[in-house]
Amino acid sequence: MSAELAPAIQVRDLRKTYSVPEREGGVRAALVSLVQRKNREVAAVAGVSFDVPRGEIVGFLGPNGAGKTTTLKMLAGLLHPTSGEVSALGHVPWRRENDYLRRMTLVMGQRNQLAWDIPVVDSFELNRAIFRIPADHFRRVVAEMTELLDLGELLKKPVRNLSLGERMKCEIAGSLLHQPEVLFLDEPTIGLDVTMQRRIRGFIAAYNQRHGATTLLTSHYMADVEALCRRVVVIHQGRLLYDGELSGLVDRFSPFKTIVVDFASDPEFADGQLAGIVGADGEIVSQTDGRLTLRVPKARTAQITGQLLAQLPIADLTVEEPPIDEVIERVFAGEAREAEPVPAA
Amino acid sequence: MMIPGLAGVYQARFKTELAVQFQYRAALVIWLLGLILEPLIYLVVWTTVARSQGGEAGGFSRGEFAAYFAILMVVNHATFTWHFWEFEWRVRHGFFSPVLLRPIHPIHADLAQNLTFKLLTFTVVAPVALLLLVSFDATFSPSLADIAAFAPALVLAMALRFCLEWTLALAAFWLTRVSAINQSYYVLVLFFSGQLAPLSLLPVALRAVATALPFRWMISFPLETLLGRSSGAELAIGYAAQLAWLGVSLVLLRVTWRAGVRRYSAVGA
Amino acid sequence: MRALRLLWLFLRLGTLNDLQYRTDFFIQCVQSLLGLVTALAGLVVVFDQTDNLRGWRRDELLALIGVYFLVRGLIDLVIRPSMERLMEGVRLGTLDFTLTKPADAQLLVSVRQVQIWKLVDVVLGLVLLGVALARLGNSVGLGTAALFVVALLAGTAIVYSFLLILATCAFWFVRLENILVIFGSMYEAGRWPVGIYPPWLRAALTFLVPVAFAITVPAQGLVGRLAWPALLGAVALAAAFILASRLFWRIGLRHYTGASA
Repeated sequence: MSAELAPAIQVRDLRKTYSVPEREGGVRAALVSLVQRKNREVAAVAGVSFDVPRGEIVGFLGPNGAGKTTTLKMLAGLLHPTSGEVSALGHVPWRRENDYLRRMTLVMGQRNQLAWDIPVVDSFELNRAIFRIPADHFRRVVAEMTELLDLGELLKKPVRNLSLGERMKCEIAGSLLHQPEVLFLDEPTIGLDVTMQRRIRGFIAAYNQRHGATTLLTSHYMADVEALCRRVVVIHQGRLLYDGELSGLVDRFSPFKTIVVDFASDPEFADGQLAGIVGADGEIVSQTDGRLTLRVPKARTAQITGQLLAQLPIADLTVEEPPIDEVIERVFAGEAREAEPVPAA
Repeated sequence: MMIPGLAGVYQARFKTELAVQFQYRAALVIWLLGLILEPLIYLVVWTTVARSQGGEAGGFSRGEFAAYFAILMVVNHATFTWHFWEFEWRVRHGFFSPVLLRPIHPIHADLAQNLTFKLLTFTVVAPVALLLLVSFDATFSPSLADIAAFAPALVLAMALRFCLEWTLALAAFWLTRVSAINQSYYVLVLFFSGQLAPLSLLPVALRAVATALPFRWMISFPLETLLGRSSGAELAIGYAAQLAWLGVSLVLLRVTWRAGVRRYSAVGA
Repeated sequence: MRALRLLWLFLRLGTLNDLQYRTDFFIQCVQSLLGLVTALAGLVVVFDQTDNLRGWRRDELLALIGVYFLVRGLIDLVIRPSMERLMEGVRLGTLDFTLTKPADAQLLVSVRQVQIWKLVDVVLGLVLLGVALARLGNSVGLGTAALFVVALLAGTAIVYSFLLILATCAFWFVRLENILVIFGSMYEAGRWPVGIYPPWLRAALTFLVPVAFAITVPAQGLVGRLAWPALLGAVALAAAFILASRLFWRIGLRHYTGASA
């Protein structure tokens, strides 16, 4: 493989185990713990492997505590893994070599690196000095950020005077001044209102298009991943549950479709008629006056739809994909049924 | 407020405070360091002065200086409060709001907290004071009468200092940065309560000021009582002054608290 | 050198920041004034009773107090606020941002936070020094000045390293926010020459909490009481402290990033 075609990031069997002290409440237990420490081994990341080609935007999806932030931190060089290998832009991240640090950036939702009391642009100047960005290049980048993120007059204001969304925009701008090749975004839209979330997502997509920066994004908002990532990595309890296209996720974990039927007139079901149509592997989600919602296996959708249309007085019939949010929820709740084994990356 | 009910509240408070403060024992150590170090420094300075003057300076022998500052440490510890810091923090973070909603005057919680701290830290201060008395050859032999006179003086001093500082700390309702007042206050206390030097060593003018201010009655008076340096008449004057100042601070407390609550609710919780 | 450039940058930023808060300037003036009054009053009352404290004359002690303010100002200007910010960064996780910057992490955390109004203490210290030297009638020759500056730099380096060691403890004991107060309390003892303290306290103030090297030794240099061996000792100790703190910092960082796990 030539250098250009090598993936930007390669992860092999990455593991991170923490030793967590365990203690019950009460004074007695507190005194005991002074002498005798009981530790519990927690596997935050339990053997994760994947590659990220250059320029790709990958979404890491998982509930809180799944291990996505821990994985991201190891890739950013902030944490040493317990075992496993990572190569990012040809570097081992946790060696924190200056050359690597100059080519990457980390943005964390709801955590600021910009100085609180001074105008944003002054914090930018600080980053400029630290990253040694030449003056004209700096001006160009700031102009680009201002345009893409619609920063307008924000740059002149101190961070404490900005709203949460404005702060996040400035944080992102400030972290891209040195035009990194790899972006690590840890929950960048958390806590923001819907409009701002959309704005930030739009920016990330536009930036990726313009500069081809490899982007790793963690989130527990499905909307982030849906909007930005063709490829999604699902992490649950430290393990990689799924790695592939978003559409494939639904196929694998929830091979169902939802059929919503609006009746033209009162259906008057015969005994067992509806059950017969739906079958043992389908389910009636809800049944109210005039509307019936069914969940049926994908394979039988056409057949069931046909039967419904033939046998019942239907005014309207819709066939929908299950909402991905719901799918993910069930995956995390452990109810997911696997149709196939995990596809190779 | 019915007394029996109050006693129950204090008991419950003590238990929680004990647990909380034990958790933050590192912070306790740090406070303790300050409380011990300052009298220790002046102890060394003044015993050195006495030694360089042939064993006696300003009416105090070396041993007497040692005793003075060792006991000063104990008295200061017993009367010490940290209301200024606490109130500024509370106002800044809006923690006064829940306090105002409780059907009990917030001073009781603070008193319980204060006493618990002193109970816990006395276990360190007492042996340190003892150590100082021994290692600096202190001249300290209180008579029974001295101790009997000391006890009420100490209690009154504790009450006086607590109420006065609690009242002054209410300035946090009006000023955002109480720390400037805090410092000025502590400088005054340093001079006029006998922490810098025994009051008899101050120039005459300052000694007069010291008598007029309440600080002498918070620390210097009980201290000198235990050291047996107060005559009967001086004891009488001392107790009277303590009671008078206590009365004044209680009145100020009520007035300021009411004004403070009004201000706090007006400005917004 | 890059380190100096970064320091200058942070100083500029900090100044711009602090200049917004003019009330802080007045508060600082009040605080410094109060400190001055306390120190001078102590001096006056003591020298009312004697004319030398273990060989130190009154105006020599005035010089000592000048060094006390000068060093305190320097420490509170950059070192202490940066260390406090470091400990906060460990607690809140914002240290991560510093670790992703292509610059030495120890350098960044050490100069990040500035309290520009502490310059009042620095000025006050210099003024006191001037007054004291004038009263002593010492013509401060180049030799004495050099001695003083070297001792001052050594002392400041030792204090910086000491505070860095204390702040690095935050990697293990995250809740110990007040640990720097320990230094502040012990520093108060430096208002008097450490020679007057009993041996155990003197040792503590020399080797445990380096107050002696911060204040007494430079003051001795200025009033001509400093012997060469002591100065060399100070410089050697400074080097040792710098190395030790750097080592400890790297151990702390490795712990924080789970390298030793």
